[in-house]
Amino acid sequence: MDRDAFIIFLCLMAFFGAFLIFPILYVFRGAFFEGGRFTLTYFMLMFKDPFYKESIYNSVVIGVFATLVTSLISVPLAYLMVRYEFPGKRLMQGILLVPLVMPPFVGAIGMKQLFARYGSVNLLLMQLNLIRRPIDWFGGGFWGVILMEALHLYPFLYLNLSASLANIDPTLEEQAENMGSSGFHLFRTVTAPLMLPGYLAGSIIVFIWAFTDLGTPLIFEYRKVVPPIIFSMVKDIWVNPMGYALTVLTLVIAVVFVVFSRRYLGRKNYEMMGRGHIVPRIRRVTGWRLPLVYLLLFVMVMGALIPQLSVIITSLAGDWFLTVLPTTWTVDYYRTVFTHSVTVTSIMNSLKFSLASTSIDIVLGVLIGYLLARKKFPGKDLLDSISMLPLSIPGIVIAFGYVAAFSGTALDPFIDPTILLILSYSVRRLPYTVRAAFSGFQQTSVSLEEASSSVGASPVRTMISITGPLIMANVLAGGIISFSAAMMEVSDSMILALREEYYPITKAIYGLNLRLGDGPYVASALGIVGTVLVACCLLAANKLLGKSMGELFRA
Amino acid sequence: MVLKGVSKFFGEVKAVDDVDLQIDEGELFFLLGPSGCGKTTTLRVIAGFYKPDRGSAYFDDRLINDIPPYRRNVGMVFQNYALWPHMTAYDNVIYGLKVRKVPVSERVRRAREALDIVQMREFATRYPNQLSGGQQQRIALARAIVTEPDVLLLDEPLSNLDAKLRIETRREIKRIQRELGTTSIYVTHDQEEALSMADKIAIMNDGRIEQIGAPREIYSKPINSFVAGFIGETNFIEGKVSSIREGDGLMTIAAPSGDEILAGVPHGSFSVGQEVLCSIRPESIHLMDVSPGLPRDQFHEAEIIHLTYYGVIEHYIVRVFGGREVKVTNFNPDVKRRDDGERVLLAFDPEDVDVFPF
Repeated sequence: MDRDAFIIFLCLMAFFGAFLIFPILYVFRGAFFEGGRFTLTYFMLMFKDPFYKESIYNSVVIGVFATLVTSLISVPLAYLMVRYEFPGKRLMQGILLVPLVMPPFVGAIGMKQLFARYGSVNLLLMQLNLIRRPIDWFGGGFWGVILMEALHLYPFLYLNLSASLANIDPTLEEQAENMGSSGFHLFRTVTAPLMLPGYLAGSIIVFIWAFTDLGTPLIFEYRKVVPPIIFSMVKDIWVNPMGYALTVLTLVIAVVFVVFSRRYLGRKNYEMMGRGHIVPRIRRVTGWRLPLVYLLLFVMVMGALIPQLSVIITSLAGDWFLTVLPTTWTVDYYRTVFTHSVTVTSIMNSLKFSLASTSIDIVLGVLIGYLLARKKFPGKDLLDSISMLPLSIPGIVIAFGYVAAFSGTALDPFIDPTILLILSYSVRRLPYTVRAAFSGFQQTSVSLEEASSSVGASPVRTMISITGPLIMANVLAGGIISFSAAMMEVSDSMILALREEYYPITKAIYGLNLRLGDGPYVASALGIVGTVLVACCLLAANKLLGKSMGELFRA
Repeated sequence: MVLKGVSKFFGEVKAVDDVDLQIDEGELFFLLGPSGCGKTTTLRVIAGFYKPDRGSAYFDDRLINDIPPYRRNVGMVFQNYALWPHMTAYDNVIYGLKVRKVPVSERVRRAREALDIVQMREFATRYPNQLSGGQQQRIALARAIVTEPDVLLLDEPLSNLDAKLRIETRREIKRIQRELGTTSIYVTHDQEEALSMADKIAIMNDGRIEQIGAPREIYSKPINSFVAGFIGETNFIEGKVSSIREGDGLMTIAAPSGDEILAGVPHGSFSVGQEVLCSIRPESIHLMDVSPGLPRDQFHEAEIIHLTYYGVIEHYIVRVFGGREVKVTNFNPDVKRRDDGERVLLAFDPEDVDVFPF
């Protein structure tokens, strides 16, 4: 055992204890204790009250449906993209990931313009005399939420699926063919079961995200789901304990799903024993199938890009009243974004918070990655699980816990949420940098460090000139992912930033959207500015890491 | 370089168990043993990567137990070479001199010299992934010797090279070691490597040292059955001492099959009736067609089970009447004289039969 490592471990545990475990326990206390006595009153109330009951039901159904829709999109897509070769494939690989960059609730602003009662789509259909009355496309918001979640989240599933598909040893399928299996039978009996771990890993991300997303239902003004209810209860956190109960329920459902899938994954984690020279099974698409593939991909790309396009159109719309497309175009809203005090402040705030949280993530990520990869000390497994824990805890739970636990303390978010925002951003994205640094250390053979030591370099010197440069690309890429996630973070920002001067970009978008007049247009422009910032960051990460960037989004 | 009673545990496992070693100035010393015998662990204790749980390590008279690896002034060549992939060959070599803050002009001169010694001057600007395995190996060696270490440690340095290159590189390492006169400790599981290069060999097994000696001594005078079995090939025959001759001290040993074997090299003192293990090297057994006129306990009738031709030698498996199978090696087999199923006589000199307590 290493004494220094153990001391650092204790410090890290204190950090996680204070900013991850304590707020969650605090929420539990609020949900189950009244005046120091255990009670199930609030929990019972949650399942008796028809409004709460319906909302909980809606949330779960939205999660399940979003997962189903993403599955329908991602499975064929992954199979096509991994197993077939066709002109333009590389470009497609890039485009398919675009939805990752824009949070679904920003897309929702544009989609609302397009699919509103008298929005572009209905107007177009009416002009073409295809319909008489406008269609309610979003089913009062319910289907709108599902659609937006699916369009935003399918890359997570697609990336996980492609990875596990690409990882399948081709000889396994060749052996099956050798024994007479082919076509769909081969897929059903060999390929699909081997893809299952990737499917589960990706679909659990999709489910939890859709289940706990706060921004999208807010934009669709669809209030009968759990996250917006929790959001509205932050204001009266001291008088109404139902917020605590709902938060606990959200956490429990999320954790149950994660644990369930991990259990299943644990049993089904196949070791691929690829040996020697492997010829991947990639077929070229030719003849009549090629147009079919392009048609399919066109539909996919349109689906994936419509939200972003709708936001771009909205942000550039001059006059747009009862016409399919705006009658005039303008860049005024972008001018507003860069001059208006709320928007400028929000951009500065987001940059400030995200830089700070990313710095924390990099320092802690490297430290934890180093301890996990190189040191032996009691509690190592605990450190491993706890630093990955934020992946399975919905943001809304942590944010609500922060408000509950730190109100009235020096960190009170009602007064100045800066520190809590930074901490919540960094705690939630820490798994990315930990994982990046850990894999960096793992790829760097210990003997490289020992070689340095054997020619006389001190540990510090070795860190600076050998290990540092070798893990740098990984750590930076992890940091950029964490930074871009923080820039467009929704639930922490919505819940913790309670005063306008501390609004980050996302909360400013939400606030602007509620404003009458040019609100949604300025909000869209701000959304585009934020998205472009994030896109640039991700491109940089991609450059740094080469092909492996997709891995950072996998569970 | 001295180790006194060094032990190293990993959990419950004794990786190195009470090892004593003394390595003289300028010597090329081999640690040889099967995998998992503790030889690499011993080397890493010397390098400072492991702290011994018991015992001490000394350079000259200096106790080094608590000196961290980077203050020990040892050079190390790793099994996987451990070349830093983000540095050129030259930068890899000069790194240790930079760390030691050697003045720039001297630094450059010494790095060039080291590259010259390993004949890699023209590859200096390449990155490790642009070098072949043998070239990487040379750079790793240059990096280890450029700092003029007190001790050079080599951890299976040739195990990643192909057979032909390995033999060339053996000579090369030996030459460089002679030239520099650096005390060197070389870990390997390849006995040919050890026998052909070493000044002295320590045979390790199960964390313990079985025998230390010059290559010829180890091969021809193994002190126990493990060493006899590990180095080279041998035939082990169990038996009981049936008589000990007065005068010349030769023993007659009765094998279970009823054969009597005359043995001349006892390791330890034996008494009549004691169970023993005899070891006869395959090349010490001679095949004959007619009786050589020796006493009955110095030759045996046998049948050839299987003959394998290897070019420089031929290898027989023969079954001695009574049941036991024995390996026999015959050198320079230019003409095929025997075939499977033929009957032969085996003969051997009692001086070639080692006897160990069973």
